[in-house]
Amino acid sequence: MTDEFRARVRAWCAEHIPADWRQSQTGVSEAEFAAFQKDWFQQLRGAGFAVPHWPAEWGGGMSVDQQVILYQELAAHDAPRLVLQFVSIHHAAATLLAAGTEEQRQRHLPAILDGEIWVQGFSEPEAGSDLASLRTTARRDGDHFVVNGQKLWASGGLHADWCLLLARTEPDAPKRKGISYFLMDMRSPGVDVRPIRNAIGESHFCEIFLVDVMIPEANLVGPENAGWQVAQETLGTERGMTMLELAERLGNAGFGWLVQECERAGAMNSRVRDRLAQFEIEITGLRGLCRSMVSGEANGPADASIVKLFYSELLQRMTDFGAEIAGPDAHTVLTKPMSSGWESGAWMLDFIGSWEWTIPGGASEIQRTIIAERGLGLPREPA
Amino acid sequence: MSELQEFHDELRSVARELLATEPDWVQIVSAGWPGMEIAEQLDGAGASFAETAILLEEVGRAASRQPLFGIALAVGALPDTDPRLARIAAGARAAVAWGFTITDGKVSGRDEFALVAADAETVLLLTEDAVVIAPVVVTEQTVLDESRSLGIVVADGAPVTQSWPLPAGLRQRAEVAIACDSLGIAEAMLAQTVDYLKIRHQFGRAIGSFQAVKHACADMQVKISVARQLVSSAVAAIAAGRDAIAEAHMAKSYATEMAVEVAGKAMQLHGGIGYTWECDVHVYLKRAALNRALYGSPASHRESLARRFTA
Repeated sequence: MTDEFRARVRAWCAEHIPADWRQSQTGVSEAEFAAFQKDWFQQLRGAGFAVPHWPAEWGGGMSVDQQVILYQELAAHDAPRLVLQFVSIHHAAATLLAAGTEEQRQRHLPAILDGEIWVQGFSEPEAGSDLASLRTTARRDGDHFVVNGQKLWASGGLHADWCLLLARTEPDAPKRKGISYFLMDMRSPGVDVRPIRNAIGESHFCEIFLVDVMIPEANLVGPENAGWQVAQETLGTERGMTMLELAERLGNAGFGWLVQECERAGAMNSRVRDRLAQFEIEITGLRGLCRSMVSGEANGPADASIVKLFYSELLQRMTDFGAEIAGPDAHTVLTKPMSSGWESGAWMLDFIGSWEWTIPGGASEIQRTIIAERGLGLPREPA
Repeated sequence: MSELQEFHDELRSVARELLATEPDWVQIVSAGWPGMEIAEQLDGAGASFAETAILLEEVGRAASRQPLFGIALAVGALPDTDPRLARIAAGARAAVAWGFTITDGKVSGRDEFALVAADAETVLLLTEDAVVIAPVVVTEQTVLDESRSLGIVVADGAPVTQSWPLPAGLRQRAEVAIACDSLGIAEAMLAQTVDYLKIRHQFGRAIGSFQAVKHACADMQVKISVARQLVSSAVAAIAAGRDAIAEAHMAKSYATEMAVEVAGKAMQLHGGIGYTWECDVHVYLKRAALNRALYGSPASHRESLARRFTA
């Protein structure tokens, strides 16, 4: 059964993965990148591989074992990553499935399959790790909300059709109690998106300026002023799904390239072998953690934080080691292929890019505090 | 939750309660632990290494002297229908010793760190490819870890009474059994540390509310979670009779190294009291460090793993 599925994925990969995508996607424009991503997504969709983690009724329904095989084979065949749709198929879908209305699901889940792109509008200039202190306001006006404020670090904002938005609807309530969760149409008047160049020179992060943006109340997710709870619940469930693919990629592509790099550089001494073996052990542990989280065996209050913390720091240590082994040559690789993800083999860029995992989505320091307080029950810091 | 999972949880909790009473060997035998993997017709429970692994982990968690490790290895080394298994199920203690050779029907060798051997009625000698029964001299090996018993097992041209082929995977069984013990040690140390951090106050607050302390505990938890995955995967491979060579290297190297770090951090976070003889953290730290040293260092296991990287 699983062998049959693996054979099917292999055959599909051999036929559909463009052989030259790494070359052809290096140095391309944002528009070309987006077109490539959308096309690749539709190819995956045609095979039933685009949203395997969704419920069957919405076009997914693949078992955890099959998902693992799918991700292993996509990695082993060096398939392009889904970067542009990341928030759409994970965060947006998880939110709609967990807290959306039937109308909202009907409106957006099929649209996501057709290529609708989502962005996350959570962080703000004054609300990073302390997300609940966000200041963007949504003032009720009849059957609409009027939104004003500024969002930051919205990944993929330039291409987005819709935004998952957190805004303050009750300014006088305690900070976690006055936030609501909205679906915002990015084509609404008053939405202005500006790219921010990141540390590796790419510009997929954006600032989003919101001036008197009208959101119909039908686009509220969950009850008014319960947005913080909605976000907390969906962030956890979404984490396992995204991590399953990332862990298989790290094990089946990233680690393989690291071994190759060590051989290419003639660096296979005993110290290097020891480091490689340690990485292999840690990746194996990570893959186990991700599988048990997705299958529901692990459902502790801090499991999502454990996985995020361990993955991001492992990625950082591995890409750091890749950069060390590759030596000065790694510094001459000035761009990496779009769609190549977090371990592209451009070791210096991958290493610098790894902070995109240790900082966003709750920085490592925040994750450690969550593990200690929610997981182990240690007392909170006195206010 | 699956039926098997429920059974495992039940076994774990019963084992934990029993070990907390510091039971004697008779109580352990009547709980059926030595016969866990022994066939029912030989008075065992007919269970698998998965259940033995739970007991081994709990023995580590309690830093107990109970000779489960020796029995788990002896049971793995004996043929499934050997009548000695019935005696083990009834409470005869057994152990194995490694590194012996046979020349002209006589066995020689010396294992200076044979776990449980000093307490065992039967010590099975292991060569590269055989299990041997022969008269041996066993003396106690004194080590810093007082929570366990080790023997120096010596045979010097002893006549072989009986021998049979070494079962495949016995080495991996030993490595993973040690990893289980270390996992139990680490869990005990984290739990004990967290409890202490909630009651110990300095600067007018529980020290567990300080971020530096909290983050150290989070790191302990992450390493334990990773180790648990590696150990579970190795245990499952052995229980299913699969080749577990790579899994055992991973579990032994990561779990035993991790447990030393966790126990060391536990001593640090307990502060001055943690460095006293009265506090049991030193017992766990010594036991964890001995586990790391026995059955191959973490570096040697990684070296074995790394042989697969080069064609």
